[in-house]
Amino acid sequence: MTTAEQTSGFKQLQVEDFRITEEPYYLPIADEVELFETAYEQHVPVLLKGPTGSGKTRFVEHMSWRLHRHIGNVEAEGVPLITVACHEDLTASDLVGRYLLEGDDTRWIDGPISRAVKAGAICYLDEIVEARKDTTVLIHPLTDYRRLLPVEKRGELLEAADGFLLVMSYNPGYQSALKDLKHSTRQRFIAIEFDYPPRDQEAEIIHVESGVDRDTAQELAKLAEKVRNLKEHGLAEGVSTRLLVYVGKLIAKGITPRRACQTGIVWALTDDVEVQRSIEEVVTSIFDE
Amino acid sequence: MTLSADLTAQYASELRGFGASLPDDFARGIEGVSPSLDEVQLERWARAGVELANSSLRSWEAAAEYFRASPAVARELTFDQLLQWVDLATELSGRSSLMSAAFLKGTPEALDHLGSDDLDAWSRQGDRLCRGNWKSIALSALYFQVSPRLLESLPLDSIGRLVDIVDQLTERSYELATTCLESAPPIFAALAPADRAPFLAFARAVTRASWADTRLYFERGPRLLESIAPGQRAAFLDLASRVTMSVGRQGFPLFADSAQAIADMPEDDHEALIAFASRLAPGSPAAAMEFLKSAPFIRSRLTPEQMEQWTEVGVDILVNEHNAEGAEAYFRLESTRAEDTLRALSARIELTSINTMLRMYAKALSGEQVSVQSTENLVDRNIGWVTESTATTEGTAIYLPPFVNTFPEQQANFQVYKVFTTHQTGRMEFGSFGYRFAEGGAHTPVTVTEREVRRREAKALEAAQQASDGRNGGSERDAADVATAMQRYFNCFADRTLIGGLFTVVEDTRVDACVAQEYGGIRRWLKRLQEYEADQRPAVHTMALRQAFVENLLRASLGRPDTIRWPASLNSFLEQGLGALKVVEQRGASVQDSAEVAASLYDLAVSIPNVVHNLPEEDWVAPAEDMISVAPSMPGGGEGEPQMMPNGEDLAFENPQQPEFRGDFKPELVQLLMKLKLQQDGKQQDGVNAPLTKEQLMELLENSAEITISEWAEGDLASSLGMFLSNLEKDAGTPAGEKQQGEGQDDQSSGTDGGTDEEELPMRIDYFYYDEWDFRAGDYRPRWTRVGERLSEEGDDDYYDETLRKNHGLVMETRRQFELMRPESFRKIRRLEDGHDIDLDQAIEFIVDKRAGVGPQARFYSRRNKIERDVAVAFLLDMSASTDEEIEKQRQKYDKDDDGDDFDGDPRKYFQWLAQRRAKQALEPPKRIIDLEKESAVLVVEALEAIGDSYGIFGFSGYGRDNVEFHVIKDLTEEYGPRVRKRIAKIEPIRSTRMGPAIRHTIHKLDEYDAKVKILILVSDGRPQDHGYGRDRTEKEYAVHDTKQALNEAKRNGITPFLITVDKEGHDYLKQMCDDIGYEVVDNIESLPRRLPTLYRHLAAE
Repeated sequence: MTTAEQTSGFKQLQVEDFRITEEPYYLPIADEVELFETAYEQHVPVLLKGPTGSGKTRFVEHMSWRLHRHIGNVEAEGVPLITVACHEDLTASDLVGRYLLEGDDTRWIDGPISRAVKAGAICYLDEIVEARKDTTVLIHPLTDYRRLLPVEKRGELLEAADGFLLVMSYNPGYQSALKDLKHSTRQRFIAIEFDYPPRDQEAEIIHVESGVDRDTAQELAKLAEKVRNLKEHGLAEGVSTRLLVYVGKLIAKGITPRRACQTGIVWALTDDVEVQRSIEEVVTSIFDE
Repeated sequence: MTLSADLTAQYASELRGFGASLPDDFARGIEGVSPSLDEVQLERWARAGVELANSSLRSWEAAAEYFRASPAVARELTFDQLLQWVDLATELSGRSSLMSAAFLKGTPEALDHLGSDDLDAWSRQGDRLCRGNWKSIALSALYFQVSPRLLESLPLDSIGRLVDIVDQLTERSYELATTCLESAPPIFAALAPADRAPFLAFARAVTRASWADTRLYFERGPRLLESIAPGQRAAFLDLASRVTMSVGRQGFPLFADSAQAIADMPEDDHEALIAFASRLAPGSPAAAMEFLKSAPFIRSRLTPEQMEQWTEVGVDILVNEHNAEGAEAYFRLESTRAEDTLRALSARIELTSINTMLRMYAKALSGEQVSVQSTENLVDRNIGWVTESTATTEGTAIYLPPFVNTFPEQQANFQVYKVFTTHQTGRMEFGSFGYRFAEGGAHTPVTVTEREVRRREAKALEAAQQASDGRNGGSERDAADVATAMQRYFNCFADRTLIGGLFTVVEDTRVDACVAQEYGGIRRWLKRLQEYEADQRPAVHTMALRQAFVENLLRASLGRPDTIRWPASLNSFLEQGLGALKVVEQRGASVQDSAEVAASLYDLAVSIPNVVHNLPEEDWVAPAEDMISVAPSMPGGGEGEPQMMPNGEDLAFENPQQPEFRGDFKPELVQLLMKLKLQQDGKQQDGVNAPLTKEQLMELLENSAEITISEWAEGDLASSLGMFLSNLEKDAGTPAGEKQQGEGQDDQSSGTDGGTDEEELPMRIDYFYYDEWDFRAGDYRPRWTRVGERLSEEGDDDYYDETLRKNHGLVMETRRQFELMRPESFRKIRRLEDGHDIDLDQAIEFIVDKRAGVGPQARFYSRRNKIERDVAVAFLLDMSASTDEEIEKQRQKYDKDDDGDDFDGDPRKYFQWLAQRRAKQALEPPKRIIDLEKESAVLVVEALEAIGDSYGIFGFSGYGRDNVEFHVIKDLTEEYGPRVRKRIAKIEPIRSTRMGPAIRHTIHKLDEYDAKVKILILVSDGRPQDHGYGRDRTEKEYAVHDTKQALNEAKRNGITPFLITVDKEGHDYLKQMCDDIGYEVVDNIESLPRRLPTLYRHLAAE
């Protein structure tokens, strides 16, 4: 395993060697940090539920950094985070590993799960419902007391290192008969619910993340609250904190709030003209020209 | 002298032979004329009279008139002329003595206006009317009778024209002609001289175009003209004449309608209007009149400058596009372009155009399930709101006026709506209806509990007094016995009207402040509207003092303390009042604060007598700036200097009128409604005051200041209260969202909730509105047709099974064919051991695995495989009356010929055959076209159920554009079941064939349905046809063009339309109608059931 470090501005390293060295900003809303820490200690897999842009990924990153800092053992150099974005063509070999051709020979290469298991990393399966059902079954042995990963092609069993934890994220908003979690999968995780933070906290997040002033951040949070009232009544999803941060960034750099909201919220959220107009009116009610 | 006597004596006996009075007439005549005539002339005069009397059987009557009129006539005419005159009379009497008499009698008066040379012409005009029959004679006599008066206002040649008209009318009706002639003198006398000739000219045009309208014109025309600016009447009549000459019988109705329309416009505009219409007239006379008719409507929405822009578009259509029909439709407002242009120009905003948007806006702001409705709806519900013009809310819905036209710019008026909505939403968002009794606010201490005790004591005292007076004191209710907290609050005050008004002012102030704080973007418009309202306030210095006090508070609450006017001597009241009001503008103020502030304002207000203060206007001053600051503590009542108060009688207190954008505020009713709602939902609020009793409700309603007594039917308070109450209860039971739907607004009502539980319900009809294509105007007629969608009725169950049984073979065949149909959609399936394609990734993996020696699996093929078909098809069946026709008919003709030969020799055989046939027919009635449509429907259902495509079956018919019936036999989303079978059995011929709207509605249904392939199959028996579906009954073009346009719309929306007709003449119009759209004429009608599934297969496979 060679770590190639280039001079031309980018770094190349093995996933399990990656560490988050700076604290990712995360504002705890409830006791989720404490819960996660305990779950980590107790080897209990975690399912993060919540709408898009509500901070699930950021939370995992934050926890990875935090655990690394606070309880990470020195030998394993803390807790790496390996993220897998799930999609419908994701196969078991994509996750576990596969043989590669090398000249006339073949070489085995570990997939992200195998690496995480070996390195004792947090393995974060983002948007797990997108993955094929047969793929999700693969992780079952990892999630109970066994903590084992069968590597079928090699006829091996991998036992998870101590720091290993499986975390998945899941957006119940997309829930449909086709894309729901199997109960056998679901019931192997404790679930932490995420939702958009209350107005004041969301304003704080927007302020810190985007650098926009506190007042504008407060207005953006207010706007978000109003727009979310439209969920299920024209909007499939409310505006996410992430989007608000983007809008905040635009405003911080001098784009007028109305324009920033138009591009970042109104047009981003929906294609329905009528709904667009309604949101736009809410925007113009809150932000003056 | 003697000569006269001689002559009298000479002729007396001869004349007496004609009539007893004639010698006397003669004697008086000769006495009258003798001063003007010499002896010879006198003798000639006398002889002429006698000759006249002798000239024909009844000519003595004329002679009598001759004698009577002569004295006057002789003064005007020379003797020669006099002789000519009598010659004329004699000539006339040859035709009719009656006419001649009238002529002679009318002459003196006529001579006031006529020269002696004109007599001849005058008599000839009368003569012209005489055709020898008694009616015509009477008419011409009438002419001579009325024309002298006519001459006062018309020159003789104009009268000649009038005679032309009358003459023409006589061809139709003498009665009509007589009436017109009779009514002419006063009409023309009343008209301005310049208008008389044009009036006559138009009369002539009307008579030519439609004789019967002449009388109407004579009757109503003058009055219609009166409402037009005096200088413009002639021009308007000229225009009307020109129009009538070109449009014919529509001329007079157009005139009448447009005259009425002009009357609705300000008089100053008439000139421009008529001038513009005259400009249009050469290109399209009808458009000119249509323009005038539409003018008031357009003017109500546009400023004069905008209106000019609007009309120029119409001119453009007429002049540059050479489209007279289009311009006509444009000015008649029956074209989409006209409406669009109007909407673009108009500053006025209609609620309907922004309703949905505002609803979502309100929902976003409040987070509640709010609906936005027109105030008209609220008033109709009769639950206590009566004004249509002001915005309001009853807790679940926001009511807004149907349109706003406050400002001259569209944008501003839209903002008005937004401020309306924001304020009303604010009442919900900021908790105006959430008052809880005796709960402290952020800025004020609780005083209401104390007040309640005080009030109860006061009331007890009152009751005791009443009791001692021998009257029956009203039973006092417990505090816990009130229906709502708001009611309990209001109960603490003796004057409910006053506290209601104050609470409204204070709470609205608070809501406005909250809105301004929370919504920075709307602040500007809120302020503008507040200022606008402040400028509209009534003069304060004429009000009674207490009223003026409240009015001033309201002005302060509108952010315009500079408009306050108050006697400087009473400043301390105002200062305290304004200070208290300021409290609720602070951050964090709640409705509890409002209640307390209103309570202390109440104390202030009651200590001000409601009398008119006779101060000069200049002593009412604006407050000093430093007066307006937040009160450090709540002011108490009665601390003013009573000695400063003016004396006088207290007037009844009335609350100031609410500013428009704030609208009605009825917290007590809203709380009651909410409570009723909770009660009906079975959710009890808090155990404290459990279910409302009827008594409680009645008490609340009786006492509430929010409903004024005048709103009840007089004298019957109890029963109207009861009705009101049941309205309230009913209202609480219906969720606000649903009300809208029942009314079938535009295209929004879903109507797809199929028929599982509708058995007992009356038929529900959802109405939809569609444009119709006017090919002449080259534009749509907006919302021209109304389609009523309803579930088809159900017949009996047997029909379907019977059809299946009879067509068993065909059914099996079609099913098999359908099952073989190739699917349209595929999905790639990977990891197969065999397939069409090799999946490269998998193949590499396989090779790698093979090399590595780990259990290779040779599954690297992929295949495209079928998944669910994604086809939706709508069958649209013609249920017009013509489908009732038997298809056997034609064949019978041939049959008869053949059979005739067979039976020729043997009548018994023939009767045998006939009896057989009758028996067969009784058993099995002859098939009609509709029966074949039904059979086809059955087959299609069977076939489609086999392949699982989504399909809908609809029937259409109707009469007229407002009444297009759309029968749902099976909706696209509906599951096939016994009810569908029953409905197929009930397909019946009904009325006309207005295809366009039916197609458009089907498009609408298909649009809402999600499918990859959409097909519309229209089965009909002939060309489109309906009442009013074309210029007149015989016109077919219009209907064909509209149907074609509807089919094109289908194509534009990604739907494949296909037409099937059983009309053998179908080819001619179908070719025109379908262009590149598929159609088929099924030659052999009976093959329809067989053909339909086959066609479908082709279409769906395309």
